[in-house]
Amino acid sequence: MGRTAPTYRQALEARMSRWEEFARLLTTPEEKAAFETLRTGARRYVAPATHVGSPDLLETILLSVLLDLARRLRELEGRPPER
Amino acid sequence: MAGSPAISGWLLDVDERPDGRGVRMWIRRPDGSTRVDPVEFACPFYVEVPADERAEVMRRLADDGRAASVEPVVRRLRLESSRPVRALAVTPRAAPDRLPLARSIDALGGYFRYPLYNVDRPLVSEFYRARRLYPFAPLTGPAESAVALEPAGRIDYRPIPLRVVELAVRAGDGPRGASVPVDAPIREIRLGDERMDGPEEPLLRALAERLAREDPDLLLTDGGDGDDLPRLYARARAHGLGPDRFHLGRIPGGERPFRPARSFASYGRIYHRPAAYRVPGRFHVDRTTSFLYDDVGLAGLIDAARLSRLPFETVARQSPGTVFTALEIEAALDAGAAVPWKKYRPEGFRTADHLVRADRGGVIFQPPVGLHDAVDEFDFVSLFPHLMVRHNLSSESLGCRCCPASPHVAPGLGYRFCARRPGLLPRTLAPLIARRRALRRSARRTDRSPEARSRDRGRAKMLKWILVTAFGYQGYRNARFGRIEVHEAINAFARQLLADVARAAARAGYRVLHGIVDSLWLSVDPAASPPDPERWASELGAAVDLPLGYEGRYRWIAFLPSARTGLGVPNRFFGRYASGEYKIRGIGSRRHDTPDYLRHVEREILELFARAPDAARVLAERPRALARADLFAAELRSGGVDPHRLLIAHRFGRTPNAASPFTDAVAAARQRPEAPDVRYVVADRTSRSWRRRVRVLGAEPIEGPYDVGVYLGLLARTVATLLAPLGVTEAELAERWAIAPARRPGRPGPRPPIRPVIRPWSL
Repeated sequence: MGRTAPTYRQALEARMSRWEEFARLLTTPEEKAAFETLRTGARRYVAPATHVGSPDLLETILLSVLLDLARRLRELEGRPPER
Repeated sequence: MAGSPAISGWLLDVDERPDGRGVRMWIRRPDGSTRVDPVEFACPFYVEVPADERAEVMRRLADDGRAASVEPVVRRLRLESSRPVRALAVTPRAAPDRLPLARSIDALGGYFRYPLYNVDRPLVSEFYRARRLYPFAPLTGPAESAVALEPAGRIDYRPIPLRVVELAVRAGDGPRGASVPVDAPIREIRLGDERMDGPEEPLLRALAERLAREDPDLLLTDGGDGDDLPRLYARARAHGLGPDRFHLGRIPGGERPFRPARSFASYGRIYHRPAAYRVPGRFHVDRTTSFLYDDVGLAGLIDAARLSRLPFETVARQSPGTVFTALEIEAALDAGAAVPWKKYRPEGFRTADHLVRADRGGVIFQPPVGLHDAVDEFDFVSLFPHLMVRHNLSSESLGCRCCPASPHVAPGLGYRFCARRPGLLPRTLAPLIARRRALRRSARRTDRSPEARSRDRGRAKMLKWILVTAFGYQGYRNARFGRIEVHEAINAFARQLLADVARAAARAGYRVLHGIVDSLWLSVDPAASPPDPERWASELGAAVDLPLGYEGRYRWIAFLPSARTGLGVPNRFFGRYASGEYKIRGIGSRRHDTPDYLRHVEREILELFARAPDAARVLAERPRALARADLFAAELRSGGVDPHRLLIAHRFGRTPNAASPFTDAVAAARQRPEAPDVRYVVADRTSRSWRRRVRVLGAEPIEGPYDVGVYLGLLARTVATLLAPLGVTEAELAERWAIAPARRPGRPGPRPPIRPVIRPWSL
């Protein structure tokens, strides 16, 4: 009610529907699945992204995606989660 | 109470005299009788006029017949400055003149040069203030100079002996609940335990006599505003019973509504509020229009009226926000300030960057979907009110000149709040917080009677509502003392707090699973020795100087996924406390549109997990849960489910038109075009006829065959949502029950199952 700026969640979903156009021309299942990974990564860190409150939407989305990839990489390397 | 003066009665109510030149005091005498005393009373409003224009304004007002007196005064008006200013005190001749007179003065000043104060103060509230009285005050001394025996804020006052009686009217010949034409004759009247029927005219006379004899203070109705009261008066009129021979109040009057019916939109929904009827000399509470009565009870409403100096009926009929506003205004007047008529402070210009930073809500930690063992839940008690008090968040304490080094700076936003003078908002809220705490304590005391404890619970709940609205009203453009920066600052402090607490939790050996604004769900790491939760909460609460409460430990908790993204969503979970109690949020049982049958399915399946002591046992119930779901699927398929249990509710945000896609709800709307909401059974979704597609409650009998495929699909969705943490998917159930996949166009395809692993620790 009465908000001036969209929430990060709203802005993210708006951007995601733009990414959808990109995904439309991906042809192989591998690419499609990989793309889905990126989108899931972007959505996984909504809480910290909201907390940053950065006016640069793309910075925050990319940071979320990179963090998700780094997390998966560490898992693949077999490193235990740090305390 | 030895030594205290004798009680001469209670002040039941004060209302405006019909001639507008004063008020009437309704006094309950100790012998149980009620008397009414008319009192002359008028109160001024204030207007600031520049010195060189003052003489002209005074001359004009002297010529204007509506002003009884105009006097120059020097007094404090503004909240943000304690300096007295020169102003004119204008006293209208009668209450109805007040607003037109103020408007004329405002027009003289070009609608901005002459700030006006106290214009819309209700006469009754001003009377209470002037006489240092309040609703339901115990009185001593004669009526014309009665004084209150105790302060309004006293906590352990004796409850006032109110006589409450329920009134219900049955008209027409149809069943209860069916709509009856307004001129249908009245068949039966129930007043308290007394049922009266017979020919209509004697029946109405009998009601009036009974009311006069029993003399109740409060008439409680279910739909009195929309139905019973206008019907009673209309039927009495039809029999030639005028207001002097038939009335429900202590004196004649009240056959016309004091507020007309209206429709309004709130948060995307449209509501209808029927006309409101008052019963002079008594209170009328219609439970269907009083949101608060059933929730906080008589004691809660009386308490709020005492504190806010609002008439009891206003409290009962309006929202807690009205009470909060009145309390804030009382606090401003107590401080010697006046109430600005219009808000003369527009929102300042701010950059887009700043808005992105400032216009945000609280922190939400997205929960990881799945089953979790041993989870502790912590909640801050009344977090926002406490933050407002602690950091002195108030419109007039923002950016003060006296403390440039104030520690109360909104994180990330830089708004600085005064560290020396407590602001209006903290001064309003601090006593309410303390009062709520005291009442919650006394409600738990087992040495008190169950009635007294239940009264205190109601009073505490009322205060809770008032405290909740205090936050929202800061951002409301019409709030007299609200300011958007205060709203933003509250959120900023809350965000920082939750982030700090999450870090502290990690240091203590917890992992943050889920958090919403003022609550945290923390999982206990079995390897790291977990802290004692009670102690941890009270130590951390002391460290941040805010009350952090321990809600309890879940034996297990299941966070559910979003249907769209498959990721966790806030506030969608079910879990079982160590105490054995379930906590369920966001699933079908808690939504209004879910068919009764599916609620039943959810209950049955949750029941299977009732004895599971940990997440592993919940997981072990998977085969049994699926077998149970199979039984429901078979029952649906047999066609033997009562269609009344399959009713789907739909509320229209907008009226469907020719361009609306042909959905079940649209088919239902075609059958009941006037209804704002419909309940229907899907009979045959493939039918292109709106009549055959759905059967609508109220339009035709509900009995008959239903669309098995549709309900199997709904069952699959319900079960899959509930069992997602156990790795069950909608696709799997569709295959199991051989139903066509309910794939909607434009939606992503079936999702891979969630790995059915218990995740006590790792994400």
